[in-house]
Amino acid sequence: MKTLLLKLEPIIWLLFGQGILIGTMLLTAWLAVVGVGIPLGLVDAQALDYERAHALGSNLVGRLVLLGLVALPLWKGAHHCRHLSLDMGGAERDAIVAPLLYGVATVGSVLAVMAVVSL
Amino acid sequence: MSRAAHPHAMQPHRPGSTRTAPPQMPPQFPSQGRYLSYSLFGATGILYLMAGFVALRAVRALGEGPEAWAALQAQFAHPLYVAFHALSLLAVLFVGVRFFRLFPKAQPAKIGPAKPPPRPVIHAMLYVVWIAVSGGLALVLAGGIF
Repeated sequence: MKTLLLKLEPIIWLLFGQGILIGTMLLTAWLAVVGVGIPLGLVDAQALDYERAHALGSNLVGRLVLLGLVALPLWKGAHHCRHLSLDMGGAERDAIVAPLLYGVATVGSVLAVMAVVSL
Repeated sequence: MSRAAHPHAMQPHRPGSTRTAPPQMPPQFPSQGRYLSYSLFGATGILYLMAGFVALRAVRALGEGPEAWAALQAQFAHPLYVAFHALSLLAVLFVGVRFFRLFPKAQPAKIGPAKPPPRPVIHAMLYVVWIAVSGGLALVLAGGIF
């Protein structure tokens, strides 16, 4: 497993890096508007009524943005959680923690692709 | 064409003769001095992971139809969700500020024949892109454009 993770490291680092860079940029707007602005009444809820939200999300650009919004933060999160575990608990349990976290990110990414395709 | 390098290719066959002290955590780790922001930076991974799955829920609700979307928006108005999203937003801003400060320092001295721009320029460019992408997307989501 360790050898496999080392071989996959360039891909994991690519997804992790894009999770920080692109994921941060996308999450900033998503959390500010959908997570905080609309629920607190700072943004008109009609701006994201179903028809408009679906129209925005179901075109090609919208699907790519939604895929990046979901999948990239998962990889950033998984990689940082792995290193948090290494820092706090040592390397012994990494053989279990790393595949578990990257597995969660992989499953989430596959579900994100399915969700985006089905829009 | 040569084979791809094995990950352990550079590892010595047996340990060297140099004696090394056993690794020890610095006494300030994890919550004092510079280790605090380092630990917090790592801990933001938990919020990113959760925020990613919450966003996945939103995309699935959008695909399921108007009732599911309305139910999700009602759930997002719950104070716990608002608190989670506000905390996640703080974490995202913290990650952006810290990572964009680190990014210029991590650039190689040369990329092929070209030298990268000076660090302050890279730093400023990252902020311009962050503000443009986030601001543009926020405007779209809030109904300001399109």
